[in-house]
Amino acid sequence: MASNGPAPSMKKRESSGSREGDQLIITPLGAGNEVGRSCVFMSYKNKTVLFDCGIHPAYSGMAALPYFDEIDPSTIDVLLVTHFHLDHAASLPYFLEKTTFKGRVFMTHATKAIYRLILSDYVKVSKGSVEDMLYNEQDIIQSMDKIEVIDFHQTLEVNGIRFWCYTAGHVLGAAMFMVDIAGVRVLYTGDYSREEDRHLRAAELPQFSPDVCVIESTYGVQLHQPRVVREKRFTDVIHNTVAQGGRVLIPAFALGRAQELLLILDEYWSAHPELHNIPIYYASPLAKRCMAVYQTYINAMNERVRAQFEVSNPFDFKHISSLKSIENFDDVGPSVVMASPSGLQSGLSRQLFDMWCQDKKNACVIPGYVVEGTLAKTIINEPKDVTLSNGLTVPLNMQVHYISFSAHADYGQTFEFLKDLMPPNIILVHGEANEMGRLKQKLLAQLPDKNTKILTPKNCQTVEMHFNSEKMAKAIGRLAEKIPKEGEHVNGLLVKKGFTYQIIAPEDLHIFTQLSTGNIAQRISVPYEGAFSVIRHRLKQIYESVEPLGDPTESPTALLVHDRVTVKQENTKCVSIQWSTDPISDMVSDSVVTVILNINRGIARVGVMGEGVTEEEMERTAEKVVLALLNSLFGDVKRVAGEEGKMVVSVDGVVATVDSKSGVVECENEGLKQRLRTALRRIKSAVKPIPLQKISPFCYLERKL
Amino acid sequence: MGTSVQLTPLSGVHSENPLSYLLSLDGFNFLVDCGWNDFFDPELLQPLSRVSSTIDAVLLSHPDTVHLGALPYAMKQFGLSAPVYSTEPVHKLGLLTMYDHYLSRRQVSDFDLFSLDDIDAAFQNVTRLTYSQDYHLSGKGEGIVITPHVAGHLLGGTIWKITKDGEDVIYAVDFNHRKERHLNGTVLESFVRPAVLITDAYNALNNQPSTRQRDQEFLDAILRTLRGDGKVLLPVDTAGRVLELILILEQYWTQHHLSYPIAFLTNVATSTIEYAKSSLEWMIDSIGKSFEHTRDNVFVLKNFNIIINKKELEKLPEGPKVVLASMASLEEGFSHDIFVEWAVDSKNLVVFTERAQFGTLARMLQVDPPPKVVKVTMHKRVPLVGEELKAYEEEQNRIKKEEALKASLSKEDDLKASCIVPDKSLSDPMVIDSAGGLISSEVASPRIVGYRDVLIDGFVPPSTSVSPMFPFYENSREWDDFGEVINPDDYAIKEEDMLDPTSVAVLGGGLEDKFDEDSNDMLLDSKPSKVVSNELTVQVKCSLIYKDFEGRSDSRSIKTILAHVAPLKLVLVHGSAEATEHLKQHCLKNVCSHVYAPQIGETIDVTSDLCAYKVRLSERLMSNVLFKKLGDYEIAWIDGEVNETDGMLTLVPLSTGPPLHKSVLVGDLKLADFKQFLASKGVPAEFSKGFLRCGENITLRKVGDSKGATQQVGIEGPLTEEYYKIRELLYSQFYLL
Repeated sequence: MASNGPAPSMKKRESSGSREGDQLIITPLGAGNEVGRSCVFMSYKNKTVLFDCGIHPAYSGMAALPYFDEIDPSTIDVLLVTHFHLDHAASLPYFLEKTTFKGRVFMTHATKAIYRLILSDYVKVSKGSVEDMLYNEQDIIQSMDKIEVIDFHQTLEVNGIRFWCYTAGHVLGAAMFMVDIAGVRVLYTGDYSREEDRHLRAAELPQFSPDVCVIESTYGVQLHQPRVVREKRFTDVIHNTVAQGGRVLIPAFALGRAQELLLILDEYWSAHPELHNIPIYYASPLAKRCMAVYQTYINAMNERVRAQFEVSNPFDFKHISSLKSIENFDDVGPSVVMASPSGLQSGLSRQLFDMWCQDKKNACVIPGYVVEGTLAKTIINEPKDVTLSNGLTVPLNMQVHYISFSAHADYGQTFEFLKDLMPPNIILVHGEANEMGRLKQKLLAQLPDKNTKILTPKNCQTVEMHFNSEKMAKAIGRLAEKIPKEGEHVNGLLVKKGFTYQIIAPEDLHIFTQLSTGNIAQRISVPYEGAFSVIRHRLKQIYESVEPLGDPTESPTALLVHDRVTVKQENTKCVSIQWSTDPISDMVSDSVVTVILNINRGIARVGVMGEGVTEEEMERTAEKVVLALLNSLFGDVKRVAGEEGKMVVSVDGVVATVDSKSGVVECENEGLKQRLRTALRRIKSAVKPIPLQKISPFCYLERKL
Repeated sequence: MGTSVQLTPLSGVHSENPLSYLLSLDGFNFLVDCGWNDFFDPELLQPLSRVSSTIDAVLLSHPDTVHLGALPYAMKQFGLSAPVYSTEPVHKLGLLTMYDHYLSRRQVSDFDLFSLDDIDAAFQNVTRLTYSQDYHLSGKGEGIVITPHVAGHLLGGTIWKITKDGEDVIYAVDFNHRKERHLNGTVLESFVRPAVLITDAYNALNNQPSTRQRDQEFLDAILRTLRGDGKVLLPVDTAGRVLELILILEQYWTQHHLSYPIAFLTNVATSTIEYAKSSLEWMIDSIGKSFEHTRDNVFVLKNFNIIINKKELEKLPEGPKVVLASMASLEEGFSHDIFVEWAVDSKNLVVFTERAQFGTLARMLQVDPPPKVVKVTMHKRVPLVGEELKAYEEEQNRIKKEEALKASLSKEDDLKASCIVPDKSLSDPMVIDSAGGLISSEVASPRIVGYRDVLIDGFVPPSTSVSPMFPFYENSREWDDFGEVINPDDYAIKEEDMLDPTSVAVLGGGLEDKFDEDSNDMLLDSKPSKVVSNELTVQVKCSLIYKDFEGRSDSRSIKTILAHVAPLKLVLVHGSAEATEHLKQHCLKNVCSHVYAPQIGETIDVTSDLCAYKVRLSERLMSNVLFKKLGDYEIAWIDGEVNETDGMLTLVPLSTGPPLHKSVLVGDLKLADFKQFLASKGVPAEFSKGFLRCGENITLRKVGDSKGATQQVGIEGPLTEEYYKIRELLYSQFYLL
């Protein structure tokens, strides 16, 4: 499908021809040139979709929300949430419960199940620290009723917006959404990973190329180490540390990557009996609650895990015990503790960090992406000193390792993905400004299609694109019995449903749609005591065609006026008028009624152009009228002698010939020709307002009625 | 022109035989369903065998025998190799159903129509789809889109929508419009005016009592028997309707704190329940909701004993109990054996929950009144003893010897360098020794046998060597200028090995882990055994009841749904001859004029006489079109002229002014509604003799039948103001185009 970039000149040109709402607008309300509070607004043809609804983990309260003020929540048709991470889903209860939003919300089954747990936990954790809570537990429960579920690949349609989702890797239930509005497709990847790991599938490559791809750029131009190497480094660091009597702290978000790391650790411990006396703790009651979800939605995981499920549950860890709080933790010797939050802002991971950071035997393994502004980000650069939560500054002696397991695509994956997908427009979101800039440059240089447009809008910065949306209609039924040739006419009902168009003959309407056509037969009786022939006489003065019905030998008791309206003498006291409803017939019938009423009241007949006029004379009169009117419009109009109805018009030296009978205009000047044609048409419709012809092959009127 | 559509039934028309139809769209052949019956009669598959090589794709609709039972056999015997499409649960539950069949048969007979490997192979190339997933076929089927939709009846049950060029062919058999405990109702009603609808007449003569009444009677009967110290047997299918029954019973047991043991017994019972637990997204919304809120999984069963062999059944306490056992037909499986045992006791009860397949034991018992005596054939696999065993062993030894010989001969070349050739005469005693313990596995390769000989009888001098010696393999090494030539692959770290030894082991395990261990034992442990059959005459003293838990829409609903869907052409399949004829007559009168009920092998052409072409709507034309909104539709009259560029038709505005056209009134007037409307406008109206009298003198009536193309409304009255007022109100009910 052809697409135009957001160049302003395009916009100007289009605005004259196309109607409003044909431009595609994409505005990041969050995650534009930043990581966190993902929220992208899109609108096309007056349909609006919002992708994701997250919070910024580094801020709190209202400041953490995306810029919802920029949009009118009540206009949003569909809200699609890609996965359960806080920066993609945590402002959803606020948006559903505290704004005017009244559209529909969709997420995958697994996402919905975990969403509830993760947000309840979020509310609990942030209770003490924040006064202005965005929402409470009750709001979350209420929001659950409004959220609908969608399965991978399932195609849904809401309000003419078609959408479906693909596996995105990243975490359990993570999805990439493809939205199709009137044939224009937009792919929103959310967070995705093209690498299969222990339990998740890799992100799929959509079957169709989208017109716009909104893609994450978290890792910019960085490249991940191969998975094997990463896992080996991870297990080696841990093995070495505990072997030397140290403690290992792994600050990780409770759900998502943590499960992957636990699978690795559990497996490693199984393979190394010498480690069996060293405990691994997983300090997250939340994760424990979510285990049921992991055990249920195995359909969202990869074949490897599903094969394991057949034997035993791989998420039933043998060497890992859960830890409720720091009070229950018996810190006596080497151990491995995985604790949240991942950024070491507060909570258990921070408490452990404060306890262990001064001992150089200990190690801290940071297993994923860390958000700007958190302590975890600070210690990656290995500063000499750190500030504890109690305000003291102490030397940082513990080893800090950064081994990324976060399932975001790296440059290699992003490049391959975009190369195969070939979207003409790419919008980068979910990445630091610098990384994003570098990614953009590198992609521009390396993508094979040099016309690809890459945009990096900031928050609230609107991107506009234009699509020459082709409207295709399908002619079906008896209208389509013959495929028309160039120049032939097509007329019928144009039926629009969603964004599909059909052209249907009126008789076929009930076959192809649930609509039906109707017909109203009218019969009205008018008191009349005079002779029927008077009516006939009067009508003949007005109408071109007044045909007697019934036996031609007898004097008629019924007349067909203008092929439409039947006037019939019912008895000596009244006549009836019958017709089938349509605007012209209604008008004719009204005039017939008037004529009869006038006769009743004895009003003299209307002025008429004489009786007994021949058709020829009529023609001549008509021609005269045409000539006079053309004269008043164009000035110099002459009749061509000898030829009926032919006239010559000359305007500023340009000459045109007009045949007033057939309506044919010949002229070298196209402008004049068009004007003459229009004029002639209007004159004709003024002279003969009601054409006498069977304009439609379907005459509903039952003459004998 | 429209897409050409042909349908050829291969089985299951004018009868209740398994379903199997050949549907061809523009030459692309779909096999929709591939069913077999519980007798596994190859005769039934004759028509399929003739066409199997021409099939391009297979669509499966339900995970039970009559919808997919013949798949493994057809793949193996008829060379059916087309890709298969089904939903995820149909794939998995279908697989379990076939395993259960095989295992049940194999335990009691030398069943050899297909093996477990054939089942695996058949289900391996199934492409699994989700509901409402538009799947675009490629290659020969380019342009065809197949979409599974919810059918109800069984978990994963599918209505197939096959679309080409905007024309829909819908295959909907065994659907259920009612919501059940674990399933959503079908979405068939959301399809309107498909070109072709293929549906079944199975329930066309069947009406159901209310669900509540049925459940109550069902549970009462069971409870009465239990209280009367009797046992209850429910012959069920392997993995279909049984899930619904389990939920009903589980719920009842929990609510009433019953302590009677209740068991679910099939060869694959544990796998079935495990799978159900992890398929919540395929079930009714409320199950998913309750899981999301409280993480309560309905298939975590507290009252059920899920067992996979009869030994465990015997462990259950003596006395009253309820057992759900496969197969529903009573022809095979645990239900067969249990029935024979329990039928003789008048305290016991057998509850049938579905109409059994024609000709089966269960069907015989479902007639009214039930027969007093039935003849059954008991098959049993007994271990060989005495003479027979000896004969068997000798035979085995002979075979083994031959194999060993063959193996050693083929090994000979390889082993020449090592000078060791296992000697035939010397290895002889060895084989006899091991035969005492009987080589337990048939799959033990002769190669291993060969080695064993060599290793144990290591000191026996091979015939070719002069003195006894250990087997010695010379390791010839090659050297070049840089030292020994190595193979770099030997030193490369193999990713899989390092990553997770466990999962590799699991994947390598193959067949074994696919089903439950015990039944596995029984199968793979091929102790010498034989099948003994004996005819038994069973006195049927126990009570028999039939309660319809089939989960199919009943006659009345089917008719309502068909009238609503109103296909342009309707094909009726699967249903007794009477039912098919009944539904055909009904549909001819009330649904559409093209109703077909083809015979087996008869190809009917259901190509729609619909003509269609595509045309582009130019922006210039569209800017002048004013749409009027009518429900979901927007509608307008257009006049256009065709422009042809590159074979593409474009509709542009007329160069001359638009001609007048006969105006069209669009709308559907219901006189009753209109009466209400008039009342709201202050005009009194009442019906009399089919007329609607409005106000003083105006009458309104409908002319012609309601089914006709155009609705005729007549309005009559004397010339009064009232006439024009009512006419105005009447006009407001229509859109004038």
